[in-house]
Amino acid sequence: MTVPSSEQVLAVLAHIQDPDLGRDVVSLGMIKELEVSPRGKVSFTFELTTPACPVRDRFKSQAQDLVGDIPGVSAVEVRMTANVRPAFMRPKPSEILPGVKQTIAVASGKGGVGKSTVAVNLAAALRKAGATVGLLDADIYGPSIPAMIGSRSVPEQVNGLLQPIDAHGLKVMSFGLIHPIEQPTIYRGPMVGKAIEAMMVQVDWGRLDYLVIDLPPGTGDASLTLAQAIPLTGVAIVCTPQDVATDIAVKALQMFRKLNVTPLGLIENMSWYVCSNCGHRHEIFSHGGAEAAAKRLGVPFLGAIPLEEGIREDADSGTPVVISRPDSAGAQAFVNIASQVAARTSIQSFRQLPVINVR
Amino acid sequence: MEISWEDRHHSVYSGEQLRWACPCAECRGEAGAPGRLSRVNKLSPEELRIQDVSLIGQYALQIAFQSGHATGLYTFSLLRGLCSCDECARTRPRKTIS
Repeated sequence: MTVPSSEQVLAVLAHIQDPDLGRDVVSLGMIKELEVSPRGKVSFTFELTTPACPVRDRFKSQAQDLVGDIPGVSAVEVRMTANVRPAFMRPKPSEILPGVKQTIAVASGKGGVGKSTVAVNLAAALRKAGATVGLLDADIYGPSIPAMIGSRSVPEQVNGLLQPIDAHGLKVMSFGLIHPIEQPTIYRGPMVGKAIEAMMVQVDWGRLDYLVIDLPPGTGDASLTLAQAIPLTGVAIVCTPQDVATDIAVKALQMFRKLNVTPLGLIENMSWYVCSNCGHRHEIFSHGGAEAAAKRLGVPFLGAIPLEEGIREDADSGTPVVISRPDSAGAQAFVNIASQVAARTSIQSFRQLPVINVR
Repeated sequence: MEISWEDRHHSVYSGEQLRWACPCAECRGEAGAPGRLSRVNKLSPEELRIQDVSLIGQYALQIAFQSGHATGLYTFSLLRGLCSCDECARTRPRKTIS
């Protein structure tokens, strides 16, 4: 029997559609290093746009089945890899975060809804999936990342640049690592902006697939500085289900929309609580508020995270729950949300942004 | 300056047009006080020539003129509204400037 040509294999693989990008995987350039041996063994690399791809396994089995059904094919070898693409082509070579491909902000508007917990676990989940990830704590007044990653190492300075510290495989920088613990940062607004800028410009972030940025509450200096200093890939908004939190989350979302930063979607934290005594599911802060708000505003709903003692305990003891208790409902919720966030950021890298020419 | 937009629309701007459209508080005025652009009717050539353009996040361009004036952040929606091509000029609602 004759073996199929590479073109035949590609024509079959072109039936696989990427649900997020809305195009087939061949025209998206995801199929690489395709080889057909004289004995009919087909092997190729399937390069995803993120290691945290939510449809990774489906793509692999679809590819195996479709190619396996071509007459003359004796075996199929699919190598799944991922290469995160840079979010946007920047108009000039950038001095700010030159090696960072995607920047994801985590914001909420309102304080105390679990932004930092979400940011840490989102970063840890992306890291677990195989991406290189940085975590920038942009909360100057109340940095809580150092506690949540369990590290107080003082960043070293090399060639005039601060080195982010390593924690759980993440590169981390926080004002809390530089500033003495138990000493308040007493800054006016413009200083906050300078401090955040310094953590981007004066820190050697190196090459990163994702930089997750934990924003402080509010729609002022910190968020504005960030949205002006770098072309953010997008922003994920965290809120609890109750109206008082979703109302403020909507303000944060609308602020980023005004600044042309794509909302990646809403995350509902503290969505439910399962009583360890009776097993009953309580919805302490109500339920579904974020999903309803997302629908109303026309943005994706990224998922809900339960209120679990383990999440809080692990945050306090310095190991993100996705690492310490990967099988818990909370950890799985974070992993799913990370996949959704990664998929939404991938969409951004295929956008054609305005091109500016000055003559 | 030229912009090729995400929807493939193409806009061409002159430095003069952009300078007169500067949205900064000094030029436009603030808190009821009139701005500089409503007080002058002529600008010098170096005020009209573009020196540099930088991207602000992904929502605006900061345009620096040769005179050193660079405080205007031109949002993309403002710039799109300023497009002077025939198609945009036809569909734009007429504004009366007093």
